[in-house]
Amino acid sequence: MLYRLLLPGPIVDLSEVRVLEWHGAPGTQFNPGDLVVELDTHKAVVEMRASSKTVLRKILIEAGEWQRVGEPLAIVSDSADEPLPERAEDLPQSSATYEMV
Amino acid sequence: MSAEPVLTRRVFFREAICLAVRETLDAEPNAIVMGQDVGAFGGSYKEFYGLFERFGPARVRDTPVAEAAMVGLGVGAAAAGLRTLVSITYMDFVLLALDPLVNYAAKARFKTGGQIRVPMVVKLTAGAKGQGVAHSQSLESWLMSVPGLRVVAPSNVADAYGLMRSALQADGPVVYVDHKRLFPTSGPLNASGHEVPFGLAAVSRPGRHATIVTHSYMVCVALAACDQLAVSGIDCEVIDLRSLAPLDLATVCTSVSKTGALLTLEEGQVVCGIGAEIAYQVQARLGPVRVSRLGAVPAPVSSNPVLEAASLPDAARVADAVRRLLTEG
Repeated sequence: MLYRLLLPGPIVDLSEVRVLEWHGAPGTQFNPGDLVVELDTHKAVVEMRASSKTVLRKILIEAGEWQRVGEPLAIVSDSADEPLPERAEDLPQSSATYEMV
Repeated sequence: MSAEPVLTRRVFFREAICLAVRETLDAEPNAIVMGQDVGAFGGSYKEFYGLFERFGPARVRDTPVAEAAMVGLGVGAAAAGLRTLVSITYMDFVLLALDPLVNYAAKARFKTGGQIRVPMVVKLTAGAKGQGVAHSQSLESWLMSVPGLRVVAPSNVADAYGLMRSALQADGPVVYVDHKRLFPTSGPLNASGHEVPFGLAAVSRPGRHATIVTHSYMVCVALAACDQLAVSGIDCEVIDLRSLAPLDLATVCTSVSKTGALLTLEEGQVVCGIGAEIAYQVQARLGPVRVSRLGAVPAPVSSNPVLEAASLPDAARVADAVRRLLTEG
């Protein structure tokens, strides 16, 4: 199953954040609790961690780029061999945990 | 969190401040930062993030909760040859430090025939954002009338950087007023080293029918009001003062000469406010014009969010004030 990894929200006062660092390249498998990506906000770093076993497939917003809250950051999947679709818009949302640090 | 905001052209408001401070500390070994939580914590709004690690505790110094002592030390250190940036998170608490700021920092050059200069920046965060009567005030008009003090207040990322650069180049005390509601904003920051000179206002939005003169976060409110007014065909010009002392009356008067109507807008009180000063100065130069001023209602800012919102100008109230100015003024 493929998913869109969305930028979680709402974040108080904030409409856009900047991707600070991806902790893996496409193909990297994450286990529950693994750090996937760190986000720079106006006041803190937000960590997004995998909530289940998941594979990073395609990064949509690279480090240093900005994205609006609620919009996708990447495409992820349950296993590494599922083919990527032409259109990502129709994919369901992935659930990831995230916390301010 | 990025310690290298220079790598991206779009930055958060806090990063613009941080970059200007960092560049100054890099260039000037005598420059230091002092304040509560400016050290390992990185500043109350993370606007000093990374400076403690880069420059160490001798140059990025956490202080006790003692504003009079903080500014007093800042004045003395600046007079003795350092360049100091003193950060007081809530502008309300500068009241504890008015004696060293007003009686020493602002007057040292005059008292000593120019022999002692006080290159000190006092950075204050103004504005209401849910924190109640004594953490929400906008008191910059109180400081505008002190000879020897310069007062600046950015409304956007580029000016946050450029005004801090200029403040940290100045040879006398500068009060740098930012705003709680500006910290979540981001925007383009073009050239490193870009300075915004004091006493130079900016036209944030050109318009024909009325001039709104304002500063800091109220620029955002004014621009939102302009969008509302544009729907009904009213085209307003917005002047962002950027510098409150000195004031750029030439830019204001050029605009009012064109539009013939002036609304002053501030988050603080209107009695003896910035608008009162501008309204007088503009009419002394241009003769009678339609003028109105808008600010907070004469009440403390409540910690109740409904009452807080009720006490301050918002886009709808600004738009109403412009309509009244044009129909009744």
